[in-house]
Amino acid sequence: MTRQELDAALARLGLDVPAGERDGIAAAVQYLDKMTARLRPAGGRDVAAEPAHTVAFPKA
Amino acid sequence: MVPDFLTIAEAAALIEKRELSPVELVESRLDRIARYDDRLHSFIRVLADDARAAANAAEVEIAAGTYRGPLHGIPLGLKDIYETAGVATTGHSKVMQDHVPQKDASSVQRLREAGAIVVGKLATHEFALGGPSFDLPWPPARNPWHLAHFTGGSSSGSGAAVAAGLVPMALGSDTGGSIRGPASLCGVVGLMPTFGLVSRAGVIPNSYTFDHCGPLARSVEDCALVMQAIAGFDPRDAGSIKRDIPDYRAALQQDLQGLRIGVLRHNWEEDLPASEDVRTAMEEALHVLKSLGAELEDCHVRSLQHYFDIKVIIAETEIFSIHQPDLIARPGDFGADFRARALPAVLFTANDYVQATREHRRMVAEMAPLYQRYDAFITAGQGEAPRLEAHRSLTFWQRPNLFTASNVTSQPALEICNGFGTHGLPLGMQVLGRPFDEVTVLRIGHAYQQATSWQHQHPQLRAGAQAPVLTPPPILAGTADQADATTREVCAQAAQRAGLRLNDEQFAQLLEGAPYAFGMVKRLRRDQGYADEPANVFSFPASF
Repeated sequence: MTRQELDAALARLGLDVPAGERDGIAAAVQYLDKMTARLRPAGGRDVAAEPAHTVAFPKA
Repeated sequence: MVPDFLTIAEAAALIEKRELSPVELVESRLDRIARYDDRLHSFIRVLADDARAAANAAEVEIAAGTYRGPLHGIPLGLKDIYETAGVATTGHSKVMQDHVPQKDASSVQRLREAGAIVVGKLATHEFALGGPSFDLPWPPARNPWHLAHFTGGSSSGSGAAVAAGLVPMALGSDTGGSIRGPASLCGVVGLMPTFGLVSRAGVIPNSYTFDHCGPLARSVEDCALVMQAIAGFDPRDAGSIKRDIPDYRAALQQDLQGLRIGVLRHNWEEDLPASEDVRTAMEEALHVLKSLGAELEDCHVRSLQHYFDIKVIIAETEIFSIHQPDLIARPGDFGADFRARALPAVLFTANDYVQATREHRRMVAEMAPLYQRYDAFITAGQGEAPRLEAHRSLTFWQRPNLFTASNVTSQPALEICNGFGTHGLPLGMQVLGRPFDEVTVLRIGHAYQQATSWQHQHPQLRAGAQAPVLTPPPILAGTADQADATTREVCAQAAQRAGLRLNDEQFAQLLEGAPYAFGMVKRLRRDQGYADEPANVFSFPASF
């Protein structure tokens, strides 16, 4: 993620983040990028592989 | 000679009395398929030899005194997302055209155990998403009432095959209207059961949150018979719910005296103003229900757009995730219509998805007081089927439909014919119920069918007639050029983060959907309370 993308993402969420804190987030972006890269296993996943979260009706 | 439009109930009565053989019945359907499906394209694969073998086995079994019940010896078609052991299950896509599963989907297994006979795999919109596509390995299904017209989708082949009398029943799936749309446009009955009631195990997913499996048939009674076989807990399905299964057929005999029905009139008068013939058909249908003793009262839920936004943010994110590896590796192997729907999902963030699932739970919960007040609800189906050539991919993003709201509220929803429009094509309405109250929904639909005669009208198919040659609709709407530099940049970055490498046309498809995706995101509520949980909660795998 570039700094420009980061700024755009924060703006999209309506967040007003001071410059110093943005620098801190920008420094962490590389770790986020690595995490998301690890989300894509080689060969993909079986289409039937469900999320851990499934729909549950409200108790009422 | 076997009548063309025999219902399951009628055929079952004859089979049980041994006045009709499963062999005769299956052979008559195979003959009808051979005569008419060359212009309907409802099947992408006919399993004639397997069906004949199963019919012979059923005949032997019944002759020996083992009668399994009303589905024994009855032919059916399967939307080609239902895994069928040893048979290609393709999702009507080049991407999975060689996929041959080892095992049946759970609902297919249950139907076989009930004695039903699989005759073939039915056309579907690609991976149960999108609209009719002319760039897939198999052509789109045609409406038997008018061969140049749309069947509805995504259970397109299911609607066409049942309406044309090729099979008396079919399985479809409904994520945003995909059982009810074809039922409406093809003039048959379609039931979307409550989420979790019918197993999704072994069915190629569209949305983990909104997929519902269910039947299409020509009568409500037939849908009840199919439901009896397929409903019930399945440990293979993470969303499956343990409930006692009632006798759906027995419940059909109760009358409608005193039943309280909420009329969601605003759906077809304000949210999506309907044509005059739809309005007339709805008023006449309401009058019939009143004459049967039901008490009707107008009621309100949120506008259709609210539910549609939530469904799309969640479901399109999910289907993009499901097919992401192939959209990265081989985007051109998907149909253009699938891409037009799936690609803009890259613009939804994880935050959007979570907020949408929290709103989803709220939408389900706020129905509770209405369920106290009403036993069921009525709303409209679609109007007359449009021409296939009039289909435009972008329309999906531009406006909601009449079906998606009940996918979000997870109510059972029955689509049933309530007349014919100015061009002689079917019209329909929906009966919605409380979660897990399919009994009431079926009861209302059955009473309405008994009081009217729409189900006895059938499309006239002529042997030897040719399907009209159609011009495939354009892939693009031509609006991508209107995207400003910021939108282009955001789309490009989102596509890159998702790992996509899109050509110009594919990127234009993303650009065209972008304004509508951003609009949904902008409308999304983000002021939930801390305790407002998502509708999707963690659940352990069944093996634990």
